[in-house]
Amino acid sequence: MQRRDFFKKLGTAAAITAVIPAMSFAGDAKPKGPNAMDFDTAVKTITGGKTPKSSKKVKLKVPEIAENGAVVPVTVTVDSPMTASNYVKAIHILDGKNSNARCIDVFLTPANGKAMFSTRIKLGGTQNVTALVELSNGEFLMASQSVKVTIGGCG
Amino acid sequence: MADKRKSLIKIKPKRYKDGEIVKVSFMVMHPMATGMTKDKKTKKIIPAKYINSVKFIYNGKEITNMTVWESLSVNPVFTTYMKINGKGKLTVKYTDNTGESHEKTKKIKPRG
Repeated sequence: MQRRDFFKKLGTAAAITAVIPAMSFAGDAKPKGPNAMDFDTAVKTITGGKTPKSSKKVKLKVPEIAENGAVVPVTVTVDSPMTASNYVKAIHILDGKNSNARCIDVFLTPANGKAMFSTRIKLGGTQNVTALVELSNGEFLMASQSVKVTIGGCG
Repeated sequence: MADKRKSLIKIKPKRYKDGEIVKVSFMVMHPMATGMTKDKKTKKIIPAKYINSVKFIYNGKEITNMTVWESLSVNPVFTTYMKINGKGKLTVKYTDNTGESHEKTKKIKPRG
């Protein structure tokens, strides 16, 4: 019986120690920005419940290792004829871990001629960068790649 | 705030024909403060100031419309393609979350 008691106590102690760091982490979490949003909720709000397909038509060009997280060049190209009946409606660039997962939403028209967008984003650490593309027929395509951010030397 | 920010519209290639698809990039000198960083000297949080929306307007017709969030880098660049469709003007408008707005125009002159 003594042995059993000992294990009981050990179990409760372990449970408490497991809970406390989680609570303290929640207490002093990172300061949230004005438009804080999760990656999953961001995808849901953009697609409206549809599941995006990963496709080779979407080409995401991001450096695999970014020396400076403050300036990460991102280029998204979509293989599309860009005619009035079949064109890319929107390109969304998302990140995985920033306080706001949405970087930019670009709404294109057939007058663009080519479906391409490029900009520079900030990344707060090593994370995935995702391009979510909406076609004119309501389909959603995506492509993602992880970017390693090495600020402060040896990553 | 009526401070004038430097901005630039670049078209590549420089000489283009009517009907050609050209690369257009727009650059602004803007702080893009997220509202989450602290000033190192005063230890105060820098208030959020970031671009909200950017619009590319060509001859009165909206070509590209962007909703921008704070995780774009300082002095952002926006690059897309555009189909040249006769002489005219390309106007790029942007607005800020603090209400600042700015406009830049460039004449479009197809040759040949």
